[in-house]
Amino acid sequence: MKISYRWIKEYVETDLPARAVADRLTNAGIEVAEVAPLVTGLSGVVVGAVEAVDRHGVCRVATADRHFTVVCGAPNVVVGVRAAFAPPGATLPGQTIHAAKKRGVLSEGMLCSEKELGIGEDAATILLLAPDAPLGSDLVTSLGLDDWILEVEVTPNRPDCLSVVGVAREVAALTGAPFRFPVITVKESDADVATLAAVEVEDPDLCPRYAARLITGLAVAPSPPWLAQRLRAVGLRPINNLVDATNYVLWELGHPLHAFDFDTLAQRKIVVRRARPGERLTTLDEQERALTESMLLIADAERAIALAGVMGGANTEVTERTSSVLLESAYFAPASIRRTSRSLGLATEASYRFERGADIEGLREALDRAAQLMADLGGGTVAKGVLDAYAAPRPHPRIPLRLERIRRVIGICPPKEEVVRVLQGLGFAVDEAKEPPEIVVPSFRRDVSMEDDLAEEVIRVWGYDRIPSTLPGGSLTLVRQPAALRRAALVRQALAAAGLSEVITYSFVDPERLGLLGWDPTSPEFMALRNPLSQERSILRPSLVPGLLEVVATNRHRQMPDVRCFEVGRVFRSGGPDGLAREEVRVGMALTGLRSRRAWYAGRDSADLYDAKGAAEHVLAALGVEAFDVRASAAPFLEEGRCGELVVAGEVVGWFGELALAPQEGYDLAGLVFLAELSLDRLGALPPRQVRYRALPRFPAVQRDVAFVMPEGLAVEEVEREIRQRGGGLLKSVTLFDVYAGKGVEAGMRSVAWNLTFQAEDRTLTDEEVNALHAAIIEAVTGRFRITVRGM
Amino acid sequence: MPDKRVSEILKGARGEAARAKLSADLEQVRVKYLGRQGLLTQFLRSLPSIPASERPEAGRQANEAKAEIEALLGQRLAELRGAERRRELESQRVDLTVPGRRPPMGTLHPLTLVQDEIIEIFQGLGFAVAEGPEVESDFYNFEALNIPKDHPARDMQDTFYLAEDVLLRTHTSPVQIRTMKAQPPPVRIICPGKVYRRDADITHSPMFHQVEGLAVDMSISMGDLKGTLELFAREMFGPRTTIRFRPSFFPFTEPSAEVDMRCFLCGGEGCRVCKQSGWLEILGSGMVHPQVLSNVGYDPEEVTGWAFGMGVERIAMLKYGIDDIRLFFDNDLRFLTQFA
Repeated sequence: MKISYRWIKEYVETDLPARAVADRLTNAGIEVAEVAPLVTGLSGVVVGAVEAVDRHGVCRVATADRHFTVVCGAPNVVVGVRAAFAPPGATLPGQTIHAAKKRGVLSEGMLCSEKELGIGEDAATILLLAPDAPLGSDLVTSLGLDDWILEVEVTPNRPDCLSVVGVAREVAALTGAPFRFPVITVKESDADVATLAAVEVEDPDLCPRYAARLITGLAVAPSPPWLAQRLRAVGLRPINNLVDATNYVLWELGHPLHAFDFDTLAQRKIVVRRARPGERLTTLDEQERALTESMLLIADAERAIALAGVMGGANTEVTERTSSVLLESAYFAPASIRRTSRSLGLATEASYRFERGADIEGLREALDRAAQLMADLGGGTVAKGVLDAYAAPRPHPRIPLRLERIRRVIGICPPKEEVVRVLQGLGFAVDEAKEPPEIVVPSFRRDVSMEDDLAEEVIRVWGYDRIPSTLPGGSLTLVRQPAALRRAALVRQALAAAGLSEVITYSFVDPERLGLLGWDPTSPEFMALRNPLSQERSILRPSLVPGLLEVVATNRHRQMPDVRCFEVGRVFRSGGPDGLAREEVRVGMALTGLRSRRAWYAGRDSADLYDAKGAAEHVLAALGVEAFDVRASAAPFLEEGRCGELVVAGEVVGWFGELALAPQEGYDLAGLVFLAELSLDRLGALPPRQVRYRALPRFPAVQRDVAFVMPEGLAVEEVEREIRQRGGGLLKSVTLFDVYAGKGVEAGMRSVAWNLTFQAEDRTLTDEEVNALHAAIIEAVTGRFRITVRGM
Repeated sequence: MPDKRVSEILKGARGEAARAKLSADLEQVRVKYLGRQGLLTQFLRSLPSIPASERPEAGRQANEAKAEIEALLGQRLAELRGAERRRELESQRVDLTVPGRRPPMGTLHPLTLVQDEIIEIFQGLGFAVAEGPEVESDFYNFEALNIPKDHPARDMQDTFYLAEDVLLRTHTSPVQIRTMKAQPPPVRIICPGKVYRRDADITHSPMFHQVEGLAVDMSISMGDLKGTLELFAREMFGPRTTIRFRPSFFPFTEPSAEVDMRCFLCGGEGCRVCKQSGWLEILGSGMVHPQVLSNVGYDPEEVTGWAFGMGVERIAMLKYGIDDIRLFFDNDLRFLTQFA
C-alpha cells in the first residue's frame, strides 16, 4: 500500500526525514519496502493563468509578472483556468523546456499534463489548479509535490495499518511524537434519516454492524486539485467528487465504504441478507455473477444491489446524474467475505480489508468523515442521524499483563512505565488499578487477544535489538540422527564418489510423460494435484525415472550426451495412512553415453546394462548388503529381456534395465539409457547386518583359472553355482574375470573365465589335492551343462 | 704379518668389485669369493690343515677379509643398482604436466551440500533431525499451526491440493506438530525437507527445501533464539556476519521475527542484491504460539519454545551468489559440477 509522508504528518508531529521514519516502521514490523520521492526531475513549473485562447490553440498565459505565448491543443484549455505551466528553462522528468516553434508560432513554454509532470497517467488534458492558486507560485509547493511515498507491506494481522491514520499512530508510538486523530464533525440537516430510509439486517452473524447515512442535493463534479493530487500520489485514479470522497476516507481511516445512488433503491430500503438460490447480480465491473446461499448480499426491497464487502452492483451505482447518496459503512464477518471473494475470484480493496478484519467501532467515524466530505465537495447536505444496526456491541477484551511473563518469553522486560507508555501510545488503555495491570484492547486491534500478543507489542516498539543474545540451557540429551537420513547420506556419498552427479528434480511429473513410460496416468494409484501450475507438473511421481530422463534430455540438448546421474527422493502412491500418500524414499540412477570422462588413459566405451547393474550393486554394497539375487523381470518402459529385479532376503528391493525404444524416442534421447532404481526404505527395513570378525587365514591360498565355452543362453550364475557347490568348503572364492565372444569362439557361444581360490583353514593344501578338486569341478560343470573347457 | 693367501684373495676381490659394471657382475664376484665354493670359503675350510701356531692368526685375517668383502660388495651393489635405476628412468622419460589418472569423481547437489551444512551446525548444538510426510493433511499443515480455514494468513502460502483436506506441505512445520504430539518436552529438533507452494518465478520455485528448527523447554526465551541464530549465521556465512531481528507475523509464533543478515556484498551501504536496504532476509522465526503448544497437549504456562524456518535455496543462493532459483532444478551438469 502506498502512503504519502505529507499525509502521515498531518496526524503526527514529527520532523524526522521520511527514510528515518521508514526505518523505524520496518524495525517495528510495519515493513516499508520502498521509500521514494513523489516526483523527480521537476523544477521551475509554476501556476499560470490562461488569459486567452484562439481557435488554433494559441494561448496567452500569465504568471505573476509576465505573459507568455503558448501553443496548446488540450481540450480543457479555456480562458480563466489556472494550470501547471512550464516556462522556458523549467525542467520536467526527462526534458528541459525551451521556446520552440509549434504550428508556425513560437511557443514560450508548455502547459503540462499529469503525465508530463510525472505525477499521474492522464496525458490528454492539462493539469488544472485551484482558481485561487497564487499566480507564478512554484507548482511543487503549491500542490504539495515535495513529498515521499512509502510502500508499506502490511502483514495479514494488521489491517489497521492499511491506512494513513494507522501508520501515523505507529509512527507516533515509535517516535514519541504526539498523535492527532483527525477532527470529524458533521453538519446535519433537519430531515431525519430514519423517516427517509431504512436498514434491516437479516443475517447479523455475517454482518454484526451496518451503518448508513443519507446525503442529498449533491452535484457530481471533478474533485478539487488537492484531493485529486492526494489520490494520485498514492496510486489511485481520481474519478469524481463522490467516489473520490469514499476512496479518500478508505485511505485515510482504512475503512471501506460504499455509496449507493439513493434514488435507485426500491422502497428506499437496505436489506442485508444471504443470497437466495439462483440469485444473480451484475457487479460494478459489469460481470454478471451467479451467487450462492453462503454469500452475503446487500439488497433493497426487491433485488440484490451489492456483494457485501466485495463489490457494489451496477444497478445502484453512482453516476453523473446522482444527486442523493446512501452511504454504507459496515462490518462484515471476515471469513464470509474471504469465502465469497475467493469463490468468485474477485479481490478488491474492500474485500482485502474486510477479510482481515475492519474496525467495528471506527466505522462510524469513517461514515461521518465521508458523508461530510461528500456534502462539502458536492454541495449537498447530510440528513440528521445514522441508520445503525448494531445488535450486539462487542466488549473490548481486557487482558492481564504480567511483566514476569514478558521476561520469561522474551528474556528481558522493559520497566513498567515504559511498558505502559508503549501500550498507551498504540491506543491500548491500561488499568493500573488491577494487579497485574489489565490492558484494554481497542476495537481496531482484533489481532491482540492474549498476553503474549501484548508482549510482542511492547517488545517490537521498545526494540528487538534490545533483546539479549543468549543460548538455551537445559540438560544434555542423546542426539542420534534417523537411520533413514544416514542411509540416504551413505548412498549419496557412495554414488558421488563413484563418479555420478546428484540431481534434484520436481516431485510432480507430466501425465503425458508417464504415458510414454507405459503407465496409465489416470490410474487411481497415482496422485494428481487439483490445482497444478501446469499439466506438465500435475502428478506426484511414482518413480524417479521420469525426472532422471528429463535430466538426460536437458543435458543432451545442451551438447552433453554423457550423463551419469542419480537422485535420492520420495515417490508417491495413493493409499497411505489417513488418506495421505504412500511415500517411499528411493535412489534412481541413469547412465548414458561414454562410460568415463574422456582422458588419455580412459577407454572410449559406452555405458551398457552392466553399468546400471553395477551402480545398483554399488548402492547395496554401500549399505552393507552383499547377498542378493537377480531375477529376470519386465517393465513396459524397459527393453524385454534387459531388465532384472534385485532381491534381498526374499524381497524385491529394486531393479535395473535398459530404456525401451518408444520412451527413448518419446523423450528425444539420442543414445541408449541404462537405469536402476532401489527402495531405500525397503533396504532399511531389512534386518541390520551383524558385522563379525573372521580370523585371517593362516595357510597359503592356491589360485586356479578355468574358462568354459558355453552357449549364450546359459546364465553364468548357474555355472557359478555349480562350481561353488562342487568346490565345497575349500573353495574360498570364485571370481568371474573374463567374458569373451568373437574370433576363436564358435558363433552363439561365449567363453567365460573364472578365477578360483582354494584354501584350507587347518593346513597347507598340496598340489595334488587342489588338482583333484579343480578337475572334479571341471568334470561336474562340463558334465552337467554339456559344455567344454576352453583350450582343451 | 699378513697372510699371503688372504691378501691375494682380498686384492682380487677388491679389484673385481671395482671393475664390476652391473649388479649381476657383482653377484658373480660374491659367488667367486664368498659362495660355497668361493675362494675365501675354501680357505676358511682349509684352516684345520694349517699348522696350529699359524691357525688363529690366519683365521682372524680370513674373517676380517670376509667382513670387508661383504661390506664392499654391499656398497658397490647399492651404487650399481642406483646407477642402473637411473639409466632405466632416463630411458623412460615422463612429462610431469600430463594429467594424472584420476579416479572418477561425481558431485553432490548444491542443495544437499548446504542442507548438510545447516544440519551439521544444529546437530552440534544438540538438535536431532526429524522427518515427516510431504503429502500432508490440512490439520497438520494449517489448523494445528493456528491457521484456520478462510484466514488471510493462508495467502502467505499458496497451496497445492490433492483432495479437500490433503495437500503438499507448504512448510516442514507439520513435522514439528507430529514430533510434539509424539513426545513430551523438552524437544530440540530440526526438520529438513521438500516443501511446495504454488508460485513460480526467478526467486520462487513450486518445490523448494526448508530446514526448520524447534526448541521447547521449561525455560527458553526469545533471547535464546537470537543467540542461537547469531551463532548459526556466523558458522554459515563467516565470523563477521551481523544479523538483525525485525518484528513480523506468522500465525504459529508470537512474537514473530524476520531475521536479516547484513548484506555481504555492500556491507550495508545498499546495493542491487539487497535492494538498497543493506539487509538480506534469511529466515523467519519466533516464539511458538501458546495456542500451538496447547494444540499438541503442552501447557504454555509450563513450557515455552521457539521455532525458525529457512529456505535452503535462499541460503544457497546467498552463499554461492546464484541469482535464479530455477537453476537448482534444471540439473545442467555444468551447474551441478561447480560446487563439490
